[in-house]
Amino acid sequence: MLSTLFHFHDPLYFHALGLDWEGIRLERGREKMEEHVEMVGRAFVDHYYHLFDKDRAALSSLYQQTSMLTFEGQKIVGVEEISSKLNQLPFDHCQHEVSTIDSQPSSCTGGIMVFVSGSLQLPGEEHHLRFSQMFHLIPTPQGSFYVQNDIFRLNYG
Amino acid sequence: MDPDQLAKAFVEHYYTTFDANRAGLASLYQDESMLTFEGQKTQGSQNIVAKLTTLPFQQCQHSITTVDCQPSGPVGGMLVFVSGNLQLAGEQHALKFSQMFHLMPTPQGSFYVLNDIFRLNYA
Repeated sequence: MLSTLFHFHDPLYFHALGLDWEGIRLERGREKMEEHVEMVGRAFVDHYYHLFDKDRAALSSLYQQTSMLTFEGQKIVGVEEISSKLNQLPFDHCQHEVSTIDSQPSSCTGGIMVFVSGSLQLPGEEHHLRFSQMFHLIPTPQGSFYVQNDIFRLNYG
Repeated sequence: MDPDQLAKAFVEHYYTTFDANRAGLASLYQDESMLTFEGQKTQGSQNIVAKLTTLPFQQCQHSITTVDCQPSGPVGGMLVFVSGNLQLAGEQHALKFSQMFHLMPTPQGSFYVLNDIFRLNYA
């Protein structure tokens, strides 16, 4: 549903979501902020896994020098190292399917916590892998968001 | 204390309290704390503890499989990401869960939970 409203393939739409943050926070109260936070969470998750599955190198646009990724227990810091790690994962193609998205505002002026669970299908593998992932999104001056914190874990049965 | 040690200490304290004396979790939350429990949102220590103490099971046992942590920003916050098993009394199989906590420092040198998100992991 969100995809028909928000053209989730269009990075500009995702990037514009941060612009009204202050207005919403000051004028429209907690309910509107909750809606906004949820909307940002969903749009971000759509955008993130779309890039991951179709154009993994483009994920670098979502991280900065201070970003941190913990991938299956391995800690990586900075956009270059993170891009490197993600581009070198031992599979070329994959398909993420999201089951749940939960979002909350974090304290850091406009920051958003996003908690995802889903499954990851690798080509040639009979069974998909289940995973959980959390993102801490921080607004940029341009009205977009970047990933400050990213933690990924497979969920073994 | 090293952040990884801190995270492990928090996780142990949290689940020990949860399993032994759920109402005791109140001291870990404040007015602005937020919990999303299986998609249901609650805010504020009182409401959160009310939610947790009225979950449809009396006894439970958490066992932790993984703990990951990262500093969340310039004010000393910490993100803790947990996966583990939840055994309910009388149930044959344990449930798998993932949970994330965003801990914020208190003036007294402790931490409280600002953000808490819990999800069961279904196969």
